[in-house]
Formats: sequence, C-alpha cells, structure tokens
Amino acid sequence: MKNNKHAPSNLGALFNKNDTIIASLMIGIIAFLWFITTGFEKVPDLFSNNIPPEMFPQILLIIILGMVLVIPFEHIFLKKSGKDIDDSRKNPVAKSTIGTMVILSLIVTFSQVLGATLTIIAISIALPIYWGEKRLKVLIPYVIGFPLFVILLFNITLGVHFEPGLLEFIID
Amino acid sequence: MEDVVKGLSLLLEFENIILILAGVLIGVLVGALPGLSSPMAIALLIPFTISLDPVAAISMMAALYCAGTFGGSITAILINAPGAPPAVATALDGYPMAKNGEPGRALGLAAVSSVIGGVFSLIVFIFAAPLLASLALEFGPAEYFALAVFALSMLASMSGKSSLRNLISGLVGVLIGTIGIHLTTGVERFTFGVPDLEEGIHFVPVLIGLFAVSELFKQSEKLNTVVDRIHAKALRLPSFSELKKLKYTILRSSGIGTFIGILPAEGSTVAAIIGYNEAKRWSKNKELFGKGSPEGIVGPEAANNAAAGGAMVPTLALGIPGSGSTALILAALIMHGFRPGPYLISETPEFVYAIFGAMLIANLGFLFIGLIGAKFFSLVAFIPKKLLWPAVFIFSLIGSYSFASSMFDVYVMLAAGLLGYFMDRNGFSAAPLVMGLILGKLVEESFSQSMIIHDNNFFALLESPVVLLFFTLTFLSLSSPFWAKLFIKK
Repeated sequence: MKNNKHAPSNLGALFNKNDTIIASLMIGIIAFLWFITTGFEKVPDLFSNNIPPEMFPQILLIIILGMVLVIPFEHIFLKKSGKDIDDSRKNPVAKSTIGTMVILSLIVTFSQVLGATLTIIAISIALPIYWGEKRLKVLIPYVIGFPLFVILLFNITLGVHFEPGLLEFIID
Repeated sequence: MEDVVKGLSLLLEFENIILILAGVLIGVLVGALPGLSSPMAIALLIPFTISLDPVAAISMMAALYCAGTFGGSITAILINAPGAPPAVATALDGYPMAKNGEPGRALGLAAVSSVIGGVFSLIVFIFAAPLLASLALEFGPAEYFALAVFALSMLASMSGKSSLRNLISGLVGVLIGTIGIHLTTGVERFTFGVPDLEEGIHFVPVLIGLFAVSELFKQSEKLNTVVDRIHAKALRLPSFSELKKLKYTILRSSGIGTFIGILPAEGSTVAAIIGYNEAKRWSKNKELFGKGSPEGIVGPEAANNAAAGGAMVPTLALGIPGSGSTALILAALIMHGFRPGPYLISETPEFVYAIFGAMLIANLGFLFIGLIGAKFFSLVAFIPKKLLWPAVFIFSLIGSYSFASSMFDVYVMLAAGLLGYFMDRNGFSAAPLVMGLILGKLVEESFSQSMIIHDNNFFALLESPVVLLFFTLTFLSLSSPFWAKLFIKK
C-alpha cells in the first residue's frame, strides 16, 4: 500500500510485470512490422506523389511505439486516479475459457471439411455439454431445434449459401 | 423543411416500418439480456442488411441502438443487473423501487423518460443539421484530415480504464486499416502473400469478433451466475401529475444527455451518470436516492436515451462515432457506399432525416413494445447462458461467412474474438480499435491528398482556420488530464 501513496522507491516497483511483458511483445511486433515496411515495393516519387506506401504505416508505428514505452509505468498514474489496471487480470484465464477457445478454434478449423450444417450442429452440442448442461430434456430439443431454425432462416429464407461439406458424402 | 418531408416519405414504406419495429424488438431483447449488447447486435446485423435498401438497413440499426439503451434498464430494474452499461445508474433507484413492490411503475418511469429524452435530442438535431450542413462547404482534404485526427484523439476519453491504451487501440485499428493494396500506388502492404488480404481486412468479421466472440469468452467464465428476479406483470405508465413533478428533472437530463451525446466519443453511460448526479443535486428529496426515488430513475434514463440520439449527430454529420454502436452504424454507412461526414448532410439530407425519423419511431416503438411485453422481457434475462451463447457464436459464424462467402473472414472473426478477449483483460478497449479501423482509410487518404495539395508542406495545412481549430481541440483533448487537474484543484 505504501507504493500507492508515495513514489516507488525501487526500480522493480516502477514496472508493472504484466504490462512490461505486454509492452515487450508489442515492441517485438512493431519491430517486425517496421522490418516488413522496409520491404514494400519501391515506386518512383512521381508516381507516389512523394508519399511512398511505407510512410503512413511507419508514422503510425513510431507513434504507437512512443505510447507503448509508457505502458510499463502507467500503473503508477492510474493508481493515483484510483484505478487498478491489474483488476481484470488478477485471476488466471479460467479453464472453461481456455477450453471454450480450444473447442471453437477446432470446430472453426474443421468447418470447411464439416460443412455449415454439421458445424452448426457441432457447436450446438459441444459448447452446452462442455459447459455442463446435462438436462437432456433441454439439450435434445436445442440440438435439433436450433440448427433447424438457423438453416430454415438463413439457408432457405435468406438464401445464404451453406457449404455441404461432409454431409454431401454422407448423403451420397 | 422540404428535406424533412422527403426523408419521411423515404422512411414511411411498409417494409421500412416493419424493419424498424423488428430493430426495436431486437434492441429491447438484446438490451434486456445481460452480456448481450447493442454493438454486438448491430455487428451481427450488418452482414444481413447489406442487401437491403440503405434507408431500411441504417434505420433498422438506429432503431436497435435506441431500443437497446432502454432495454438495458429492464434488467437493471428487475434483477439489478444492467443489460447495457448506460443503464448502470438506473439500477441505483430502479431496483430498490422494484423491490419495494413497484416494478411496473419503475419500468413505466424509465420508458416514458427514455422516450422524452430521445425525442428531445432528435428535435435538437433537426434544428442543428442545417448549421452543420453549412459547415460542410468549408471542408476539403486538409479539414477532413484534421477532423479525423481530432476524432482519434477523442478516443482517449472513451470508456475504459486507460486513455493511453484507448489511443493505442485506436492507432492499432488505423494500422490494421492499412493492410491490403495501397490505393495511390497499388503496392501491397502487410499482405504476407495471402491473397485474401489484398483487399484489406473486412470490417464485419472484425466487428463481430471483437464485440460478440470476445464477450462469449468472457461469459464462459461466469456461466453459473444465479440472479434473483422480481416479477413484473405489466409496465405502468406514470400519471400526468407525477410527470409534472418530474418535468424539470427529465428536461434537465434530456439537455445534458443531448449535449454529452453530441460530444465526439462521449457516450450514453457518461450521460446517464451525470444525469443521475444532477437529478440528485437538484432534488428536494435527496434522502430518497438509492431507496427507489423516481427522480433517480428518470434522471439517468432521459439522459442516456438523449445521448443515444445526440451521438448520431457527430456520427452522421462529422463522421466521428460517439460510441461503439455508432461506430458500427458508421461502418454500415461506409459499406452502403456513403461517405459519413459533412457531405452526407449537404448532399443527401433526406437520408439523414429518414434515419432520425426512424429513431423517432423507435422511441415510440419501445414504449409500445414495453407496454405490452414487460412480463416477457423480464423473463428473457433467464434464458440459460449455456444455450444462449452457442447460439450467439453460430450467428457470428454465419454473419462473418455470409458477408463475402469467405472462410477467411470466419478465421478473422475468431482471431478478432481472441484478440478482443486478451485486450479487455489487459485494459485495452475494443471500441477505439473499431473506430480506428473505420477512420483509418479517411486519415490516410485525406493526409495524402492534403500533402499533395500543399506540396508536402505540413505547416501549410495550418493556414485553414478549420484545421487550426481541430488541431487546437486535439491538443486540448490530449492534454486534458493535465489541465483538468489544475482546473479542479483551483
């Protein structure tokens, strides 16, 4: 609590650990993007009106870099105005969130193979079950009813093209 | 006046009215469901409205935006969980009044004050629009550039923990906007050899990812939250004598809300909080605040709905969104081929008046829908999250895919969702990124054009008084944390 009221007494207290990691990551990305901008195709000045294609992104990268350098120390200013930047990240990312991210990433990755209908069904089944929905009298009507509603609304009524995917082989 | 009549004639087609009412219904529903938000619903709606007539599409979104602000107050009053951030202040007195056995009265006060606030801001706009249109004649590329820079600087004051992080988010959005083929030279930038990136990153999957998918990840942490519900049989309209007692609070809050809404990048939440504080400051019954005071309900409600109307003014007239929702409406306008900003009002005034007409209908519509559906809306908050959020993801998936029939857009949506989740955890807001993405092209194009016109002499831009004004405002906006402290201390 002492650090809240007075200027930090040591170097470690100056830096916020999480923000230092984020700033380092961002600086790495900025350096990489800067390198990429140096490889943009060169065009004659006359053609580019003296504004080469890399100029604007490079200006942005410099401004962002300037701001990113302040991030590790920002917690000091925020604390003075009663804000805690670590508030929303006190707890590690919940297992259920990581699981949700993995499930959805997998389904999206395989969605081209599965096709739209099977993807919708897979999401309707996988997420509720993963999240602990065990009531079959709720789950079964949902798994049947909701995909049917979506197909009727988007595919049949609104004419959105649904890739058949695996379903094509199953039907054949 | 002729433009107002033209605008209304564009609007008053049967199909448009139905779509506006559908927008109201979706808005109230989404507002009433904690976790779901108006920006999310608008983001999901955009791909499905691309094929519609622009008046119908934008009117539907504007109606959803207005109704969503009111919808948030339903759950704020009945379960003490604001369905949307602007309803936070409504819960302070709305929930105690509902607990005291008057949920219908609380809902009625919220609905009527919302309508008055909303209509008030629209009347102000109708008179302010011609003034803004005359301003439009002064705008060239340099003025547009200065305006866009000012808009970006205003991102710092958007909601969120940190002004610095808001600015970084906004600039990252602008940077993402540079992906693709450079319009002036035809050079590929940041495409990494991926053909799908040549035409740049589409708005829609990014918007859906940042607003809907990232919220799904957040909600997956708290799936088993149980809330107490107060049953509301019907919405009870306040009597004329009660409204008479509250008229000064409602009018004051309507004025505050409209003014704050018009300020670029200030939103309904700020307006509602100030509306509540001012209602308390001017009240003769301060001791009732926090215990179910009617002034504590009408103050924030009139203000937040007036701000929703007010926020459309900079969005349509200057091309600067006032909130996350208006940023999405701005994106939709661009997708429909409009150039939001001063020329929108000077060249297509009837279109602008049609949108405001739609908002007027929406304001009356949610009163009507609230009257007949209060009981139903009090129940929707209890749809199990374990079934609701998979449905949201499916809509996100279809919305992202159907926009350009591209699987690449679905991957972008998922990536944006993951990015949005980790940004939020670390204090970076998604709304400034969206605004940066939308304003990015305008910033670069107007910057390039201005530099060409002025022979690459940046200081020549300052010869324009409008440019000078916007740069001064930018400086004041960015330095506000320093001078505001000095001002407050004195």
